[in-house]
Amino acid sequence: MAMRAAILRHIRVPVLQTLAPASTASHWQRWIRPMSSHGDDHLQKEEVIERVLSVVKSFPKVDPSQVTPDVHFQKDLGLDSLDNVEIVMALEEEFKLEIPDKEADKIDSCDLAIEYIYNHPMAG
Amino acid sequence: MASTPSKSQILSLFRSLLRTARDFSDYNIREYTKRRTIDGFRHNRHVSDPSSIAAAYSDAESQLQIARRQVIVYSLYVPKLKSVMEIKHA
Repeated sequence: MAMRAAILRHIRVPVLQTLAPASTASHWQRWIRPMSSHGDDHLQKEEVIERVLSVVKSFPKVDPSQVTPDVHFQKDLGLDSLDNVEIVMALEEEFKLEIPDKEADKIDSCDLAIEYIYNHPMAG
Repeated sequence: MASTPSKSQILSLFRSLLRTARDFSDYNIREYTKRRTIDGFRHNRHVSDPSSIAAAYSDAESQLQIARRQVIVYSLYVPKLKSVMEIKHA
């Protein structure tokens, strides 16, 4: 799936360019932006922390008052491994990422989630 | 039937089902599949007998195949109107 999405994203640029030459510049900018390696559009750490915390807080079984940036999902919030998977999936949706199973299994605390997302180049 | 699936295999299957659920274009089907997956895994949470675990696992696997096929079928008949639940209020 991730592979397919990545390929489609690349293909779309030339197609748009040939079909709509008049608006080429704006399309180019729109599609190139998310792929740029410049630091200016990368997420700020504070923003990542805030959004991760709000996703975790909005999880039905979590008591929002207990959520802090270094809270452990299963040890501190009383969640189980299924909830853990659900939270990581919710984070994927929030940041428009696809986290591979191997990485997703390791994310078991807010701390690790923030670290992973902050260091992810495609997080948006 | 294969041996008892490990915890990580089960979580991986759970994740695959949730990912597939996300691909449905129709809001109602998408939410139902997600809800059904979570409820199903929760329902079998305390199953400890190895053969029952293996049976539940292969059942979920076949459900995953069905869901994957249905994603494709539903994508051919996308509703023209969005569900009212998908409309974001400003």
